[in-house]
Amino acid sequence: MIVAEKKPVEEIIDYVKDFKKLLIAGCNECVTVCEAGGKKEVGILASALRMYFLNEGKKVEIDEVTLERQCDHEYLEEIRDRIDKYDAVLSLACGVGVQFMAEKYFSTPVFPGVNTCFLGAAEERGVWSERCQACGQCILGETAGICPISRCAKRLLNGPCGGSTKGKCEINKDLDCAWQLIIDRLKELNRLDDYEKIMPIKDWSTERAGGPRKVVREDVRL
Amino acid sequence: MRINYPGTIRIIRLPCTGKVDVIHILRAFEKGADGVYVVGCLEGECRFSNGNLRAKKRIEQAQQILDAIGIGGERAQMYNLSSADGPRFAEYAVEMTEKIKKLGPNPLKKAKEKMAA
Amino acid sequence: MESIEGEPGDFKVTLTSYPRYIDPIKCTGCGECAKRCPVTAINMYNLGLDDRKATYIEYPQAVPLAFAIDIDTCIGCGLCEMMCLAKAINYEDNEKKSTICVGAVILSPGSEGFDPSGMDVLGYGKFANVVTSEEFERILSASGPYRGHLMRTLDREAPKKIAWIQCVGSRDVNLCGNGYCSSVCCMYAVKEAMIAKEHSHDDLDCAIFNMDIRSFGKDYEKYYNRAKDEHGVRFIKSRVHTINEDSTTGDLVIRYTDESGQTNEETFSMVVLSVGLQIPESVTALARRLDIELNNYNFAVTDPFAPVNSSRPGIFVSGVFQGPKDIPGSVTEASAAACAAGTKLAEARGTDTKTIEIPAEIDVLETETRIGVFVCNCGINIAGVVDVPAVADYAATLPYVVFVDQNLFTCSQDTQDKMKEVIKENNLNRVVVASCTPRTHEPLFQETLQACGLNKYLFEMANIRDQDSWVHANDPEAATEKAKDLVRMAVARAGLLKPLKEKKISINRRALVIGGGVAGMNAALGLADQGFDVVIVEKEAQLGGLSRDLTVTIEGADIQRYLLELVDRVTGHEKIQVLTESLIVGFSGFKGNFTTEIMVGPGMYERKIDHGVVILATGANEYKPEEYLYGQDYRVVTQIELGKRLEVKGADDISKVVMIQCVGSRNEKNQNCSRVCCQSAVKNALHIKEFNPDAEIYILYRDMRMYGLLEDYYTEARQQGIIFSRFSQDNPPNVEATDEGIAVTFKDHILQRDISITADLLALSAGMVAEDTEELASILKLPRNEEGYFIEAHVKLRPVDLANEGVFLCGTAHSPKLISEAISQALAAASRATIFLSQSEITLSAVTARVDPDLCAACLVCVRACPYEVPRINEEGVSEIDVALCHGCGICAAECPAKAIELDWYEDDQVMSKVEALLEGVL
Repeated sequence: MIVAEKKPVEEIIDYVKDFKKLLIAGCNECVTVCEAGGKKEVGILASALRMYFLNEGKKVEIDEVTLERQCDHEYLEEIRDRIDKYDAVLSLACGVGVQFMAEKYFSTPVFPGVNTCFLGAAEERGVWSERCQACGQCILGETAGICPISRCAKRLLNGPCGGSTKGKCEINKDLDCAWQLIIDRLKELNRLDDYEKIMPIKDWSTERAGGPRKVVREDVRL
Repeated sequence: MRINYPGTIRIIRLPCTGKVDVIHILRAFEKGADGVYVVGCLEGECRFSNGNLRAKKRIEQAQQILDAIGIGGERAQMYNLSSADGPRFAEYAVEMTEKIKKLGPNPLKKAKEKMAA
Repeated sequence: MESIEGEPGDFKVTLTSYPRYIDPIKCTGCGECAKRCPVTAINMYNLGLDDRKATYIEYPQAVPLAFAIDIDTCIGCGLCEMMCLAKAINYEDNEKKSTICVGAVILSPGSEGFDPSGMDVLGYGKFANVVTSEEFERILSASGPYRGHLMRTLDREAPKKIAWIQCVGSRDVNLCGNGYCSSVCCMYAVKEAMIAKEHSHDDLDCAIFNMDIRSFGKDYEKYYNRAKDEHGVRFIKSRVHTINEDSTTGDLVIRYTDESGQTNEETFSMVVLSVGLQIPESVTALARRLDIELNNYNFAVTDPFAPVNSSRPGIFVSGVFQGPKDIPGSVTEASAAACAAGTKLAEARGTDTKTIEIPAEIDVLETETRIGVFVCNCGINIAGVVDVPAVADYAATLPYVVFVDQNLFTCSQDTQDKMKEVIKENNLNRVVVASCTPRTHEPLFQETLQACGLNKYLFEMANIRDQDSWVHANDPEAATEKAKDLVRMAVARAGLLKPLKEKKISINRRALVIGGGVAGMNAALGLADQGFDVVIVEKEAQLGGLSRDLTVTIEGADIQRYLLELVDRVTGHEKIQVLTESLIVGFSGFKGNFTTEIMVGPGMYERKIDHGVVILATGANEYKPEEYLYGQDYRVVTQIELGKRLEVKGADDISKVVMIQCVGSRNEKNQNCSRVCCQSAVKNALHIKEFNPDAEIYILYRDMRMYGLLEDYYTEARQQGIIFSRFSQDNPPNVEATDEGIAVTFKDHILQRDISITADLLALSAGMVAEDTEELASILKLPRNEEGYFIEAHVKLRPVDLANEGVFLCGTAHSPKLISEAISQALAAASRATIFLSQSEITLSAVTARVDPDLCAACLVCVRACPYEVPRINEEGVSEIDVALCHGCGICAAECPAKAIELDWYEDDQVMSKVEALLEGVL
């Protein structure tokens, strides 16, 4: 899932302080699940902004909507008939949703209400951690299901480095050394031989190095 | 026990403070309340296990937002007491009233008047 | 109670009701009488620390909530009679005799705190700042004489140092003859010290002078450790010698001798005497009248295997009258007594029940909203402050209000009858009563609605008495305004209320008991004797559990014989089915309707059992020591092994025995006290002495926890020359195996030097460890504590219930305990289970959470936030909340990030309508 964090109210205010009619748009997918931009947060932010503007002596109208997903045209279409009513949209979706909204409604300013952080998992309620960097060339099959690209600070393919101490990474003692985890799990799986194999230099062209990426699936295209 | 306390408060009944959400508190201020406080069971004594601890976190969240928008987080508070703690209920009512009196009315009232004028 | 005549099942009980001079049925609890009463009397509820009126109620939570006249102080002025609009005062009231017919009687007359006035050396009654623990309890209470402010009695100054003196009136044969331990004083002293520290504005110094700290209850040791290690409460091992007052300051000087024998003096600002529990004279007199046998300390005599049966058949006992105990123990025993009585009354169950006819409900959703508002004067309780006519007039102006009335007492029977007519005449479909508190009166008014064919959830109350007239009596104008606000808020919410359906679920009247030890078998019999079917699942091939390894109780009762009889009764009972060598592999359902899958041995075929309740009795085992050469030297044994050996071989061949306490208990790995090991050691030591009076026995202990009546055995052991020596946790005894025997070296704190004993036998008082229930707990989704014991719903109030409804707990699966305690708890669990099993269906509250599947994002927030693990993501991929399991707290509704959950009757717009109505027009 995409993990996002709420932006500070102050920052949001700075974006929208000069508009008169605002739409706050939540998204009922990842940002709802990570409790940053669902219907509940839309309500809280709308109430906070209404009070802010009133306190500043400004007359600002604020509407609320939460779309099923902001990364699909069809759902974004749901607000087409009223989008022109607004001077700006504050989207609580992830970076994808904000951009898609901006692309779709070209003449309406769109601002982000959350910081999109990473692709991660919920370790427990309120704790999310990164698991994937979407490099486009998955090597989890060679690394005991533990990703050194997202979880090793140096993205080493043949680790660990000399900074691994007692299973922890040198940049932060609370951070597990990904390679220690990999070795431990290979041992458990009786596949330590895999560790001996030298991994070839990674083809980074599928990652950001190749520029913005696109997936085209002819088999499912209409 | 009929202990006098200030006539400044109106009580809204909920099954558990765990039912209180940030938006309930914000909405009260949006409508013009000068202060909002939530009274729950003593910590560790929640009738529903941990509702009061959940409420505490939501009050903190509301306080942060109220601070950020210039209303003042101090206007929202959480108190804990047992159902046999009548005198303490009254004490908290006094404490909260004094706190709000010091802070003055909800700033939105003045803002609204100004806008009307 | 004057007398009980007749036989079990048919008792005639003669009662005397003393005059109250105020009719509790007519009294509304308004308190106007007490307000006007001109006479001041001493308030004994606060132990004489403050005053009350001659017309009074003991405390605000009293049941019934009705006043009475203290005729000894009343001057008969007639003011209260004049004031009482309910006409409840009756100066002519007199003593009345009545008889009732019952099948069984439960005696729970309780105890009183020991009166230390006679103990000169402690200075109670002589020095103002020496108080009893009961008085201190009132001082700390928010409803007490000082309103919860920590002050000493002499000068109302905040104390800086407080000392507690333990065992006042307990463990003391010399001064008061109470040789028993009161069982509760150690824990209440620690609690009082902790709360006093909380209440104090300075760094309060608390010291507890004690002989032993007896924190033997479940998780009590952890609390004691916290007090000691985190909150700095000092524990001083000493029996205090004398207390003297510094007459200039009122401070108290305590002279005491410490463990090394040195005499010290320390000054405190206040001293609390931890007084023990004692059976009052009135109770011993009652017992004599009823022909109930008492022991030498006036506690009721009971059998270790029938702990709630008094000496007279059909009469049961519970609470401190049975023996000193704390609240969880008393509550448990009360349920046990109810079960024991219930088994004798099973036939009569339900024969006196009357049912109320409720007319069919009127559909209100399609009709326009018509709200009726009833404003109550509550005599002059409300009307004396609030301008009730003005409030009523105001109510009439509110939206959807079509009818308004005001009543003298809305709750009176005639007003309720009138209300029914009015509701029907005016086609009201929502009702608001502006009166007192829903806490006491909501059910009454809801019944009235139901009688008119209205759903009971179409009702709302505005509390203009407790929250208004009572607390703003000095400002009638503001109170009237507040009343209007409260009515406006109530009307706003009433307009949004919807009828709710209370789900009825049928109950499968069969019980599943997990574990066939003493507790499980007693629980099964407790239910089967009341006519309910029971299935016992036991994983071993035989019933009996840990007790199969035990020989006798400390009282000398033969455990094996008892067990044999018990197994016979269980296996021969037509209502009980026993599955041995069986394992639980699956579990589903909710209260009243569970299904359990069981692999039944020895063939391991699968069986599915439908049942309405579960009783957990999975038990515990003796800890297998890793310490002190256990398992390495045959001369090192556990207490259970020693008990068996004594049974088989006697003790003629042993002349020197050392016992070490707290092996596997009260340490880092297992913080808790195992409760039973002190008495096991004393029991075995006394046995050895019986076989071989010349045997030398040393018991090395940290605190001897011979609570309750066990203390007598401790005294006897010392009298028989058994040597008790205390060691500290950081300096445990050293044990070495030699050819001559087991050499045990320990530090004697009186001699202040090491002593070495070479013993024939070293007995380790190994603690208890919970049976491994990890898998079972995960199948049944039940919470366990760190040590693997199941966690009850509430330590004091619901000691045998689990938070999961329909699941109950007993025996050592709850925490370590003695056989008699396990039996009590088993009966208690059966009694609690009976509440479910005795009815064919139960009605659930309609205040439950509901998910809107269209909005749900399946984020798992509700699943994780629910304290009862009720929500689950269903096959459609959305959250689903089973109303049969939901407790109605609303936590999920508040947390849901998609706002997909509403709590019925507290829907967001219903709650917010009150906020909006209150603040209407403010901005």
